[in-house]
Amino acid sequence: MPKSMGAVKQVIPANTGGEADVAMAEHGSAKQAAPGRKVLPIVEGVVLVAALVAPLLLQDYLTVFATRVIILALFALSFDLVWGYAGIMSFGQALFFGSAGYGVALLARDLDITNIFLVLPAGTLIGLTFALLLGGFLLLGRHPSSVIFVSLGTLTGSYAADRLARGWYYLGGQNGIPSISSMTLGTYEFSEGPPFYYLVLGILIVVYLLCRFLVRSQFGLALAGLRENEQRIAFFGYKAQHLKAIIFAIGGAVAGLAGSLYAFHEGFVWPNMVGVVVSTQVVLYVLFGGSGTLIGAVIGAVIVEGVSFWLSDNYREVWPIILGVLLLLVILFRPLGLISFVLGERERVGSFGGKSRATGKEKRNAAP
Amino acid sequence: MANAFVAAFEILSFGAIIVLIVLGLGIIASMMGIFNFAQGEFVLLGAYITYLAYAKGLPIWTGMVAAPFVVGALGFMLEALIIRRFYAAPIVAMLGTYALGLIIRESVRGLIGGFYLTVPEPIGGSIDIGAMHISAWRFTIIVITALVMVCCYLLLSRTNFGLRMRATLENPSLARASGISTPLMYGATFAFGSALAGLAGALIVPVFSLYADLGLRFLIQGFVAVMVGGVGSFIGPVAGAGVIGTLSAALPWVMAPVVADVLVFVLAIVFIKFRPQGLIAGKGV
Repeated sequence: MPKSMGAVKQVIPANTGGEADVAMAEHGSAKQAAPGRKVLPIVEGVVLVAALVAPLLLQDYLTVFATRVIILALFALSFDLVWGYAGIMSFGQALFFGSAGYGVALLARDLDITNIFLVLPAGTLIGLTFALLLGGFLLLGRHPSSVIFVSLGTLTGSYAADRLARGWYYLGGQNGIPSISSMTLGTYEFSEGPPFYYLVLGILIVVYLLCRFLVRSQFGLALAGLRENEQRIAFFGYKAQHLKAIIFAIGGAVAGLAGSLYAFHEGFVWPNMVGVVVSTQVVLYVLFGGSGTLIGAVIGAVIVEGVSFWLSDNYREVWPIILGVLLLLVILFRPLGLISFVLGERERVGSFGGKSRATGKEKRNAAP
Repeated sequence: MANAFVAAFEILSFGAIIVLIVLGLGIIASMMGIFNFAQGEFVLLGAYITYLAYAKGLPIWTGMVAAPFVVGALGFMLEALIIRRFYAAPIVAMLGTYALGLIIRESVRGLIGGFYLTVPEPIGGSIDIGAMHISAWRFTIIVITALVMVCCYLLLSRTNFGLRMRATLENPSLARASGISTPLMYGATFAFGSALAGLAGALIVPVFSLYADLGLRFLIQGFVAVMVGGVGSFIGPVAGAGVIGTLSAALPWVMAPVVADVLVFVLAIVFIKFRPQGLIAGKGV
């Protein structure tokens, strides 16, 4: 891991060196006036407002599409936690997403449980359990696992789950589980449309804020250290593997939540949902948007899905090729994703822990 | 007895196919430290070139001969343009080669549509041994795999070129100081690995028929095989491929195919977890 981040860092100055330096110089000279200059809250605010008003402006079928995008953004968030913040390359994030989807689909089909307060926690729990099992196996142990092993292990896990789902009659085989009944709250049924949209958006906001708190806490600081230089963090006395396993499990739980929402929204689950295709899809979102910033993952999901929805009508065949070319360009020239066009390196890394936040508050309180 | 023989042949021929596909992957992974996600698409390209030759009315073997050269040249170009930037960063290399693979795969999908295209076997028919019939083409694949394996081994261990290659990969700065052009050697290694993938694709297309996800199917199996065998040597990945190929072909004979499919991967991952250096540890040939 340290190697790879080193290379990413080497690339940054070549491309954004000028901007970053300027930003840092400004930051240094105008430390007191800094709060007003922060870009991240502005970006977050813009995205939030856009998400809130979207159903009012969009036609019905587009709202359904937007709901799907929001769910995928939630999924992207889970991958970003794992890769962007802890530097664990999980090529099998769909395993948790899809297995939770299958889990709630089975609950709805066989046990007739569709209560929102039961299925969503159940889905989250399934994601958490699978992530604990797989992450515990891959990450923990006497010898620290190599980053290649973890990425290929997750990839293989996802692929094996796909094969299993395809061949297991109980899970519907190739066709998956069709026509899952709607999610219910008492007698109210969540069907596609604005209510479902706002439900999902609310969940996304809550999870986003929780993640934001997490990655800005002392735990987040340890994670950032882990991402930048695992060995040093280990020498500081942190149990690097435990930290990794914890964040991997949290990522799995979020992916599980997203997966259960996805299953109820689409009304069916199919083997691709646990497979490599969806796993790599989420990697694309986060790389495009910008890993290591939570909002980058959300933006990436919106952009990739939005553009592919828009293009797939007319350019269905060409779109995946364009996507590949864009992805390659982003990896080569913008390793921190599109968000790095507006966000400086310093703000991306940000500050950690309660203390700095408290002083920030004091300053803000003191200002007026 | 006859059944057992046919089963053994099936297992052997599938093992040979996996070995053939893993050869290139293993050389690139061992020698350059890059897990090339585009390898499956190089296989696909090899298959596609063979199909093109067939569709244009040329003899199939011309396509099969051309495939490794064309794919190797493409690999050389891609290495010089793109892959070169990834050496220091294995994960970024994975993502970058994944993007490359996506581009190639979707381009081929655009060219052939969503069809399964069949290419006839250049050597058709079957070989009869007593009451048993085995496919002549699969037998040819086994023979060619064995030949290619021996040639690769000799190339890497006995020739001047192989020596330079190993020197470059083991200690680049010393190699440079000794007057070896390391960028050229990296390019040549990558081209060689991709050429092997192209050859694999060309040879297996009559068995599996051509479709856009042909390469993807083998990619993960290939990665697992490389890890099981051990990264760092030539012989390691080949051994891993032998084990994985044999297991994946043999297990379905004794249990439900679905279970066997998953079991191979689970076993492999557990094995790598407890023996990270793989079956055959160590550097060199």
